[in-house]
Amino acid sequence: MATEATSPRRRWRGLGPAVPALALLALFFVIPVVSLLLRSILEPQFGLQNYAELFATSTYARVFYNTFLVASVVTAVSLALGYPVAWLLAIMPPGRANLVLAIILVSMWTNLLARTYAWMVLLQRTGVINTTLMKLGLIDEPLALVKNLTGVTIGMTYIMLPFIILPLYASIRTLDPAILQAASLCGAGRWQAFRRVLLPLSAPGAAAGGLMVFVMSLGYFVTPALLGGASHMMLAEMIAQLVQSLLNWGLGSAAAFVLLTVTLALYSVQIRFFGGMR
Amino acid sequence: MLLTYHRLGGLGIALWAITIGVCLFLLVPIIFIAALSFGSSRWLAFPPPAWTLRWYQELAADPRWLEAALTSAKVGLLSAALAVLLGLMASFALVRGRFRGRNFLKALFLTPMVLPVIVFAVAIYALFLRVGLNGTLVGFVLAHTVLAFPFAVIPIVNSLEGFDKSIEDAAVLCGASPLQAKLKITLPAIRIGLFSAAVFAFLISWDEVVVAIFMASPDLQTLPVRIWGALRQDLTPVIAAASTILVAFTLLVMAAVALLRRRISR
Repeated sequence: MATEATSPRRRWRGLGPAVPALALLALFFVIPVVSLLLRSILEPQFGLQNYAELFATSTYARVFYNTFLVASVVTAVSLALGYPVAWLLAIMPPGRANLVLAIILVSMWTNLLARTYAWMVLLQRTGVINTTLMKLGLIDEPLALVKNLTGVTIGMTYIMLPFIILPLYASIRTLDPAILQAASLCGAGRWQAFRRVLLPLSAPGAAAGGLMVFVMSLGYFVTPALLGGASHMMLAEMIAQLVQSLLNWGLGSAAAFVLLTVTLALYSVQIRFFGGMR
Repeated sequence: MLLTYHRLGGLGIALWAITIGVCLFLLVPIIFIAALSFGSSRWLAFPPPAWTLRWYQELAADPRWLEAALTSAKVGLLSAALAVLLGLMASFALVRGRFRGRNFLKALFLTPMVLPVIVFAVAIYALFLRVGLNGTLVGFVLAHTVLAFPFAVIPIVNSLEGFDKSIEDAAVLCGASPLQAKLKITLPAIRIGLFSAAVFAFLISWDEVVVAIFMASPDLQTLPVRIWGALRQDLTPVIAAASTILVAFTLLVMAAVALLRRRISR
């Protein structure tokens, strides 16, 4: 046993085939990301001034606020809409379930820009939603649905829904219907059975899906950049602007570091409490 | 009875109403764009005043769109090939290796999937600025291979874990070399995993926007970069036409995958 632990050849047995992949990720993933993060404390000079500026400036504080607000609302709405769908999907007859699943998968695999474009068109001032509401006499003026956080929230919810529904569906499907029958035999009403049995049993799936959507929303770039406006910026767009337009690499990488830290922290919570990312 | 479909009663109606609503929410924008791409209104009025193929003709008349599509296809195929090759080798190490830090390696291999893409995009952009790889095919392929890698590794590891290694060992005992046994016995047995890996990796690259926006030059753009550029200018129906083609392409790939998987698994 002692030799197995100490013999260097044994220690690395079987690692060989992974070396090319390891080299690729080291050269083009780990090193660039780490050196980007280092720039946040090295540019323009060594110190934490970038972080101080990031947290003290009200413009940047506003961006953080926008980002967390949108991510929270998107997660809450996706959970509220996705839970009933996942629940029904888990128990409906297979034929219909396949149809619903196909719709979800088609939407999920449709090009992101195509979907965002669709919402830009639908939500614009002269778009279908505004013209229909005006024809119905519900509003007199077109609503401002795009170039603000409302538009971002609608577009992001649209994109995130499948990421809530699919894991929740998988977790509810593993529950045994007999448990709910037992609850009802023991005298539980529907509401009580839902609140005391179904909800707690499906909570890990809901929390895992919700956390994933929240984390993905925090770092999302495309949809907020197109459906939000310059005055309603979110974190990812701010990082892109700082680096590309303002060439302020120090501040940009400080913002990237904040995003990375929050993301990894939330994922480690998920792995810790819900085990893995399946 | 909350998990027994036939005994949901009134609750079932409520759940169905929400489910149908969500399905419409997911489906209508896609159908809407397809309809608008055949509509004659430049300002995307709905319902369109007349039907036309004009936007598709404009799309075809502009060689930059075709060029971008070809670039996307090239980058996608090369990245998928590279990701599957590296992923296959890495999977052998992950499934059969008995080395220290195997779990760490597994976690590292999945990180490109969970790291916010914007962070990777800015990081690789900075590196490529230094070594002059921005706006090159090699740069695109390397960056997309990193992003596609986890999506290639997961299905291959899953199918390799389901494969009984003693079959491969039997081939070796019968006189095959270890490499021969892997090529002739193991690879065919895990072909569904390899196939899924290739499709996923290709689609990840084909649809990737963020890294591509940073790396693209005026001379070398992928299709999403081209759409992004057009979107920032105005909402011309030409984008609706391009989007519709993309959606049709994705549907075709998905249908082909479903068919092939059924065939392969027989």
